[in-house]
Amino acid sequence: MSSNGHYDFPPELYYDRTTHVWVRQDGDRVTLGLDALGLESLGDMAYISLQAVGFPARRGEAIGSLEAAKMVGDLIAPVSGVLAARNEAVLRDPSIVNRDPYGAGWLAQIAPSAWAAESADLVHGPSLSTWVESEIERYRSQGWID
Amino acid sequence: MTHWRLITDDNVSASFGLAADDCLAGRVGVGESEPTLRLYTYRSHCALVGRFQNLDNEVHREYCQAHGVALNRRPTGGGAIIMGADQLGVALLVPGRADDSYSRARELMAQFSAGVVNGLRSLGVAASFRRKNDIEVDGRKLVGLGIYRAPGNGLLFHASLLVGLDIPFMLRVLKTPFEKISDKEIATVADRVTTVRREIGRAIEVSEVRARVAEGYAQAFGVSLTPGDFTPDERRAIAALERDKYLTDPWVHQTTAVPDALGSAKLKTPGGLLDVRVTLAGNTLKAVFIGGDFFAAEGAVAELEASLRWHSAAPKTVAETLAHAYAARASDLAALPLDSLTQIIQQAIRRAQAVESAARADPYGCFVNPTGPIEDLSQPQTEATHV
Repeated sequence: MSSNGHYDFPPELYYDRTTHVWVRQDGDRVTLGLDALGLESLGDMAYISLQAVGFPARRGEAIGSLEAAKMVGDLIAPVSGVLAARNEAVLRDPSIVNRDPYGAGWLAQIAPSAWAAESADLVHGPSLSTWVESEIERYRSQGWID
Repeated sequence: MTHWRLITDDNVSASFGLAADDCLAGRVGVGESEPTLRLYTYRSHCALVGRFQNLDNEVHREYCQAHGVALNRRPTGGGAIIMGADQLGVALLVPGRADDSYSRARELMAQFSAGVVNGLRSLGVAASFRRKNDIEVDGRKLVGLGIYRAPGNGLLFHASLLVGLDIPFMLRVLKTPFEKISDKEIATVADRVTTVRREIGRAIEVSEVRARVAEGYAQAFGVSLTPGDFTPDERRAIAALERDKYLTDPWVHQTTAVPDALGSAKLKTPGGLLDVRVTLAGNTLKAVFIGGDFFAAEGAVAELEASLRWHSAAPKTVAETLAHAYAARASDLAALPLDSLTQIIQQAIRRAQAVESAARADPYGCFVNPTGPIEDLSQPQTEATHV
């Protein structure tokens, strides 16, 4: 388990270093959500919207929007492919994301089209703990977290 | 010294005003437009709901249609507002940083609001930033704030500054619980909202406030402001976005899956009756109203209410936030026991969660908190008195 204090980063997951979106391989799909540090900074989630199933996702581009407190931003696809599933439960109750970010708070699934190439840009494996520690230190030094 | 463009425009339509901010946020992020501070007013009047709000929950559509009040949806979040010639719109458009997409959400709001606070203070208004999304004077809301991160990492900071406000008109446009709008209801709102004119006690023009806010930004960010206008290329892009987004029903009339719900509860305390009403959006507290016949110093109750606006409805965090806010005004709230207040707010939340199916608005939108429909007080499923 890669963790520091109460910020857990399950080691089996992949992480987008820019957006703090986590990705998990589930057969021919990947599941994605927001990681602990991203959520700590955003605070309580108020609203989430996602594109419809079938939407063509491109890595680095929006597949939905979210509102936490009064900050509104796009949910950025960590990999390219086709939006294969949406978690309808979190659309109705976004607080699930804060309560269980790696479980019931998953956001969407994508059927990836270039997993081999794009997953190389995600943080995973031996580099994870170093990245987590540096991110937590960066967030703390900037005063974004306590 | 860094240079920002300063655009001042007045009497803009709702669709153009919002399309311009949204468009420039996208362009500035990818270097197609220069960092810009836009200080502008809308054509009187329009009602603008937050990014994810359901329009029919927030505004009286028939009244708006009959009185030419335009309706639209902001790219930024938060509650419904009215805008017109007496409300200054602030849009700061700057590039974000690529390495921290969500990380600065918390501190950006305080940082970006500094220009508005500086400008207000130079006018003698004791304005201060309330963590999350308000600028207030002694608990009364004066400015609503929001941030939108556009694709390409452009940032749009929105503020709506009340130079003046016609409260009865606002109550007719935004949904309220009142069957009539009497002096009592107007006074209830006036205790929770203020304006620049009220604070400084004179009839200041919007143009003077605008000049002070511009100076406030130059001072806060150490930038020089160069007056300018939209470029022809920007105007074409804005017109396209207006046509394709802000003039379309799918954007203006979209709905969210998160239901609104209202709950209320009363409690007789030694200091008087406590009457609490809450509005939830899912498990987020959109608004809290604390009424009754207890005594509390001016502004103290409004501060308590504001501390819970757009706050998690989780019992533990509600209790923690209340305790923190209460401690800051303990002597002003001596007749209002914290334990009783916490208990009754949590009970109102539980009731709202239990009657989630009732779609309710934040009756006063972004600027005030609800009192709840009067008729609800007689409904046993949402109301109970504890003596």
